[in-house]
Amino acid sequence: MPQMGVSVAEGTVVEWKKQPGDWVEADEIIASISTDKIDTDVEAPASGRVQEVLVEVGATVDVGVVLARIATDARPGEAHASESASEGTSEAEVALEAPGDAPDLSGDTTETHSGTAQRGTPEVRRSGPRRYSPVVMRIAAEHGIDLEQVEGTGRGGRVRKPDVLAFLENGGAAEAPMHIESPYKPDPGPPRKRPAKDAPAGQPLSRMRQSIGRAMIESLQTAATCTTIIEADMTGIAADRVKTGLTWLPYVARAAIEALGDFPSLNATLEGETFTEYESVNLGIAVSLGTGGLIVPVIRDAQDLSIEGLGKAIKGLARKARDNQLTPDDVRGGTFTITNPGGYGSVMATPVINLPQVAILDTEAVVKRPVVITDERGNDSIAIRHMTYLCMSWDHRALDGALAAQFLAALRKRLEWWT
Amino acid sequence: MATEAAQSGTSEVPPEVSEHLTTDDRVGLLRAMLMMRGIEERAMTLYRQGKVPGSFYDGFGQEAVSAGPAWAMAAQDRLCILHRDLAAHVIRGVPIERIFAQYMGREGGITGGRDGNVHFGDRTKGCVGMVSMLPDMMLIATGLAMAFKMRGEARVAMTWFGDGSTSRGDFHEAMNWAGLQRLPVIFILENNQYAYSTPVDQQFAVNPVERAAAYGFPGVEVDGNDVEATFEITRQARERALAGEGPTLIEAVTMRMHGHAAHDDMKYVPKEQVTEWQAKDPIDRQVRRVEALGIDVAAVREEVKAAIDEAVAAALESPMPDGETATDRVFADEPALLEDGNAPWSGFKGGA
Amino acid sequence: MPTMTYLQAISSAMREEMRSDERVFVMGEDIGVFGGAFKVTDGLFDEFGPQRVMDTPLAESAIIGCAIGAACEGLRPIAEMQFSDFISCGFDQLVNVAGKMYYRQGLSVNITVRLPSGGGFSGGPYHSQNPEGWFMHAPGLKVVAPSTPEDAKGLLISAVRDPNPVVFMEHKHLYRRIKGEVADGTYETPFTARIARAGTDLTVIAYGAMVHTALEATEDLDGASVEVLDLRSLVPLDEEAILASVRKTSKVVIIDEANATCAAGAQVSSLIAERAWEDLDGPVVRVATPDVPIPFSPTLEQAVLPQVDDVKEACRELLGY
Repeated sequence: MPQMGVSVAEGTVVEWKKQPGDWVEADEIIASISTDKIDTDVEAPASGRVQEVLVEVGATVDVGVVLARIATDARPGEAHASESASEGTSEAEVALEAPGDAPDLSGDTTETHSGTAQRGTPEVRRSGPRRYSPVVMRIAAEHGIDLEQVEGTGRGGRVRKPDVLAFLENGGAAEAPMHIESPYKPDPGPPRKRPAKDAPAGQPLSRMRQSIGRAMIESLQTAATCTTIIEADMTGIAADRVKTGLTWLPYVARAAIEALGDFPSLNATLEGETFTEYESVNLGIAVSLGTGGLIVPVIRDAQDLSIEGLGKAIKGLARKARDNQLTPDDVRGGTFTITNPGGYGSVMATPVINLPQVAILDTEAVVKRPVVITDERGNDSIAIRHMTYLCMSWDHRALDGALAAQFLAALRKRLEWWT
Repeated sequence: MATEAAQSGTSEVPPEVSEHLTTDDRVGLLRAMLMMRGIEERAMTLYRQGKVPGSFYDGFGQEAVSAGPAWAMAAQDRLCILHRDLAAHVIRGVPIERIFAQYMGREGGITGGRDGNVHFGDRTKGCVGMVSMLPDMMLIATGLAMAFKMRGEARVAMTWFGDGSTSRGDFHEAMNWAGLQRLPVIFILENNQYAYSTPVDQQFAVNPVERAAAYGFPGVEVDGNDVEATFEITRQARERALAGEGPTLIEAVTMRMHGHAAHDDMKYVPKEQVTEWQAKDPIDRQVRRVEALGIDVAAVREEVKAAIDEAVAAALESPMPDGETATDRVFADEPALLEDGNAPWSGFKGGA
Repeated sequence: MPTMTYLQAISSAMREEMRSDERVFVMGEDIGVFGGAFKVTDGLFDEFGPQRVMDTPLAESAIIGCAIGAACEGLRPIAEMQFSDFISCGFDQLVNVAGKMYYRQGLSVNITVRLPSGGGFSGGPYHSQNPEGWFMHAPGLKVVAPSTPEDAKGLLISAVRDPNPVVFMEHKHLYRRIKGEVADGTYETPFTARIARAGTDLTVIAYGAMVHTALEATEDLDGASVEVLDLRSLVPLDEEAILASVRKTSKVVIIDEANATCAAGAQVSSLIAERAWEDLDGPVVRVATPDVPIPFSPTLEQAVLPQVDDVKEACRELLGY
């Protein structure tokens, strides 16, 4: 049954113009068919004698079904192939829907198709009594490791790739058992004392660590250090950051500088009995040098810088610090310091004052938290806000707790009403 | 009209409409149309025999719409050809066996089996193949013409599209752009009365040929069943384009004498309409012209049939494409651009 | 080497390529006298004139279609969509005509379509989209998305020279925000991925603006060593570079600024699941814009587009797994 249109699936034989035994020329009409789209004649695909009609008039069959067979090795006037002694040699070769010289279009094409379809190469999933990640199972299989023996440091004691690699490195890989080996394991017994000579060799502290240590101890022994903490809603700044692309720090710095204008006794130094307030803010920014230590370069006249300017200055100083490019002038003369370990996720800290300054502000991680907010009519609701703690250590010799709290409140107000 | 047409269907010789055609040209136009009809009839037979996958489209009765305009184009001109314009491919010199191989999805087809039926264009003959969204090609032709103008070349681009295409936005975008930049492009609206089953009175409120004025260039109507008339009007449009006067919209009025595709029995077309247009058959008309010149048309027919027989045999020798190659050739490694096609008109050889 | 913004680098690519190859021209809406909605073509009109810096009618389908026609004749058009969002009006020409032309009939279509894309500045639903996934799903189109000025110039020049249709996703939010050193003259950048920062503990895969989000989020992440892989090209996708990075770190976070479903990151995720399963030490984590139109109001927009903190959180979560 020929395909009369893409969506046609079946057809009905209306009339056979030729009967078995009749001679038919190629392209001569052999039958009439009817489909739900069209009624049409069907031409013979080849010359020969009609050997058999397989679908009777009135029968409906699927597209691709052979309707009749034509014996192509017959000659006009010769006996019908089926009547000859040598039973059908080549007569069955020609089917009405597809002569032998054309490939089968209606058949299953899966084989050729599957050779070209885009496909990945999924690996076999292995299962075990505990659940391990694919890479862990692969490494274990490659090295014959019993994963039950590996201690996991991941969430809920999950064995991670570094765990199995460490196990491997420590010689934990079990060799394949020989037939003389039993599962017996000796009792480990009490732990032995480690001989002194096995103690890990000590390293002298770096010069920077020594100097940081001295300064920190001096600060804690000299200043009457207290820490006050306030909570601030950074949601407005979070939105603004989208526009500016800046980090949190320049915002806090700018707000702190403005608040210091109102509370100059925090922008000050105390040396011995001498207390000095400053008009300009020389803002120290603590920069971590990784394991190398910590350094506090100073942005001079920070009150003259816009938030973008502060952002740029902080970035510049941090880069200089990490590249060991700071000059002595870059780290001198600070009047107030901000330290910012917030990038690591910690939420509170009690910083150590950078003497002879009288206060240091610590900014911590900004995290989304549900908080109660009160609208102008006094209605309470719970909202998801960007919240942070601002922790300030201050020197009780120079000021009192109320002033520290007022300063932090002013700072918070600036941050929360950011425009 | 119907009565006149029926009467003219006897032996009256159509009037002279172009003084630019030699006897050879007139026979050439007839040969191209006979070839188109012969190829499509044979392909339909192959289709019924199950040798042509997918669907099948033809341009029975519309042969003059592609043959005449294509005859007027020079080798370096460019054509974007539609699915009822097979004569244009023939005139540009596409080997007939490749056309049959194309229908059958074989390796030897113009697209190597990657696209079917008349969805093809032989880039080595200066032709861009159509896509199913027909007016898309109006923009491609406009872009080709834009390149000619940018480079200061005396060349013309031409495309065909149907009455249904005039409803699409690309029709407007192309006409507007071409008018604005006065590009050397010829738009041939092949009005065959039906877009699939939708008649023209359900397609537009204003005859599209009138819309050309809104884009700042002429729209002209021509008898789409008179191959010498379609030649002549295209020749004039080409002259205009070369003179820098911009595009022309030609509406070739014709009739689709078969269904939209092989499965379509056209039961939505009134019988009288078919009868009326049968009397206007473009091949019969050109046969009368050519016979009046003393040409042996039977010999031309024999020659065409022999060429088709040979081509079909050759196409059947072409293998089906290897399934392993189906994912090849998505991207080009090197540029492969349009090249020049055949231009058989005597006017290009200093004749006429 | 001069320092340029991302925008200047794109402009420089066009200028230098037009100087060195007379087949190259640019076309689009308001790009000539006005210099373009984002001033990317500013100055080109004065240097090259109205034919090679062509102001077109407001007709996206025509811009793509005419570019295809001109390309078939050997020209090398660079077509600008004023916003990537508007490519929907030229989609048919790009996907059905340009994308399939070479496969169907061996006719190459050397066009470059520049699509200013991306959000982050209250552009709203019609000026903020990242439609690269549409084109990844249309065979025959190459899709590239630079994140740095250097790559923006090199990738654009490579796109112009490539004989195939190339969709060039340029991120509007990077235009003036990102600067970097860019070589003079012309140079090509291959359609491969680039390691933006090497690392060993976790890989973040991104492209376009999200590369910068990834770098910022992982600059100092609890001391973890985070690799950032900048895909640069989405079609072809540099599968080997992705797999190599996964083999090294075994943990992957993929960022898309595009809507999550069927995004480039989804394809990357699928690739890893299919071909790097036995290298994974945790689930593949995706950070992407949810399947919503990009809202206008800054708070809404920020809520849907991946932020530095979102990426940090995802990385921390996976590092701890």
